[in-house]
Amino acid sequence: MSLLSDPKPGSPRFVATYGAVALLALIELVILWQAIHPNVPEAYRAYYIDHTTTCMRQPVTGAYTMGITIDFRSGGGDTTELRPCGWEGPVGNGMHLLGETARLRFATGTTTQAMTLTLEMTADDIEGMSDQRVVVSANGTPVGTTTIPRAQTVTVPFAIPAGIAAETGLLDIILDVPDAVRSRPGDSNTRKRSIKLTEATLTPN
Amino acid sequence: MQHMLQPASATSRSRTALIFVLPLMFLVIGLALRFIAFRVAQPEADPTGFIQSMCRWDCGWYVKMAQTGYDPFPIPSRINAGNWAFFPFYPLLVGAIRLVLPFPTIVTASIVSLLTTYAAAVVAWPLFERNLRAFTLYAAYLLSGPFAFYFTSFFTEPMFVLTMTVVFVMLKRSNYLGAGLATVLLSATRIVGVFATLSLIVQAALDHRTSTGSWRGLIGAFLKRPNLLLAIFIAPLGLFAYMAFLNFYIGDGLAFQHTQRAWGRPFGNPIFFVWQGLTAWPNTGFWPTSSQWLAGAAVLGFVLTLVLAWRRQWAQALFAFVSLTLPLFAGLASVIRFTAAMVPITVLAAQLLASRRWLFALSLLGIIALGYVIPLAWLGNNVALV
Repeated sequence: MSLLSDPKPGSPRFVATYGAVALLALIELVILWQAIHPNVPEAYRAYYIDHTTTCMRQPVTGAYTMGITIDFRSGGGDTTELRPCGWEGPVGNGMHLLGETARLRFATGTTTQAMTLTLEMTADDIEGMSDQRVVVSANGTPVGTTTIPRAQTVTVPFAIPAGIAAETGLLDIILDVPDAVRSRPGDSNTRKRSIKLTEATLTPN
Repeated sequence: MQHMLQPASATSRSRTALIFVLPLMFLVIGLALRFIAFRVAQPEADPTGFIQSMCRWDCGWYVKMAQTGYDPFPIPSRINAGNWAFFPFYPLLVGAIRLVLPFPTIVTASIVSLLTTYAAAVVAWPLFERNLRAFTLYAAYLLSGPFAFYFTSFFTEPMFVLTMTVVFVMLKRSNYLGAGLATVLLSATRIVGVFATLSLIVQAALDHRTSTGSWRGLIGAFLKRPNLLLAIFIAPLGLFAYMAFLNFYIGDGLAFQHTQRAWGRPFGNPIFFVWQGLTAWPNTGFWPTSSQWLAGAAVLGFVLTLVLAWRRQWAQALFAFVSLTLPLFAGLASVIRFTAAMVPITVLAAQLLASRRWLFALSLLGIIALGYVIPLAWLGNNVALV
C-alpha cells in the first residue's frame, strides 16, 4: 500500500495520520497566537506595529564639537552620528526630513551652560503644500516653533535652557512637522515631505 | 509487434531528449544574449563583472542575506528596513551552498539560479499536454527571454517558479501530499506562496466533483481522506516555520509584514493604483512611462488570469489572482517581476502563442530579441523592472 493512498477509516495509519493533522493544526495555532502577541521593545512597537511614530531612534553617538557649523548638503561631510532618525539624504540642497518627526543628537558633555541651536532650513516645493511649521524641543522641553513659507529658506536660532543636558551629556532635539504632506496619494506617512535641513550650529551662550 | 513499437519508442526517446536539451540550449543562448547586452551597455567594464552587473535592486539584499543571515533588532546598519521582509528559503539555500563552493556569493547564487530555472523548465513539461511548441516557448522565455535576468541572477524567482511548477504538476496528478510538500517550500520562498494551499483545496474539490458528478458530500469525503487533510495542513508550514523563527529571533512573528513600513510603500485600492499607473502619461513623446509599463503588466496578468478561469483552470486562476492582487494593495512596485514569474500565466501565454505555427515562430523570435533588449534596460536601472 502506497503512502500516497488514503488509509482505511479506523486503521492504525488512519488514526496516526489524523493525529499528525491535529498536531500540525495545534503547532500552527500556537505560532499564530505568538505572532499576534509580539514581544518587542517599545521603539519597535511604536514604529512597526502601532505606527505612533515615523521616527525610530537609531543608536548614534552625537559626536560634535561645540560651535562648529554642520553642513547637511551633499559633500558636507558625514553627519550620520548626529541623525538618530527621520532624515533622508543628503541630496544636493540638504537633508530631507522624511515623515512627521525627525531627531538630531549632540554630545554636549555635562555642561550646565545655556546654548543656542541655529538651524538653516528650506521648505519643500510641492504642489498644494502650505507653509511648514517646525516645532522644536530639546530633551523634552519645547524651545520654539517656526514657520517656513513654501520653497523659502530661513535661519532660526532656538534658545536651549541652561542645565538641560547636564545629566546625560546629550542634547536630543526633536523636530515635529505637523504640516508635512504626502507627495502622492496613498503614500505612507513615513514618506511625508516638509523641509530640508541645510545647516546646524550649537553654540554655548 | 516489436517492429511497430520501435518508431514510437524512438519518438518518445527523442522527445524526452528534447525536454532536457531545449532548456539547456536556451540557457546557453540566454547567457550569451545577456553578456552581449552587458558589453554593449558597459563597454568599458571588465568582462568578469558580468555576473555582478546583473545583480541589481533586491539582489543586493539577497547577497547580504546569504552571507550574514537575518538582521537582529536594532539593525546593526542603523536603518529601519529589516531584511525580515525577504523570505528565507532561497537566500539561505544559497548561503548554505556558498559554504562549500569557492566562489563569491553572487557567482554561486547565479549558478544555483541557472540550475534551478533549468529544472523549473524541465519539470514543467507535464503542464504542456505534450505540446512541444508551447514547451519550447516557455523554456526560451524562462532561460533566454526578456526577464531571464530575474531567473538567472539572485532573486527568489527561480525557486518560486520551480516550487510553483511542482505544485501544479502534482495537482494535475491529484497528488495532494506532493503538492502540499512543494507548497511548504513555496510558502518559505515568498509569502504569496502560501496561497497555493487554496489551490490545493480547490483542486481536491474539483476532483471530487469530477469523480462523483456532484458537490454533495464534499466535506465528508475530505474528512475520510486524512492524507488530503495532512496535505492541507502541511502546505503552509514554510510560512509558519518562518513566523516561528521571527518570533524567536525578533519577538515578532509578523516582522516580515511590519517591516514593510520602513519601505514607505503606500496602501490603497489595487484598482486605484492600476488606474493611476495607466494614466501616468509621459510629459513628452509617446513612449510609456514606468508606471504605465507596470500597470500594463498588471492588466495583462489579470486578463490571462481570466482566460485561465474561462478555461476552468480554477486552481491556477485562483492562485494567480490572489498572488497578483495582494501586492497591488501596496502599489505597483515589482509588478512586472511578479507577473513574469507567475507560472500559470506564463504557461498559458506559451500555450496561446504556440497555437499557430507562424505565431510560434514570431513569438520565439520576439522572446529571443527581447532577451537582448530588456537586459539593456535592466543594466540602465530602469525602475519599471525593479
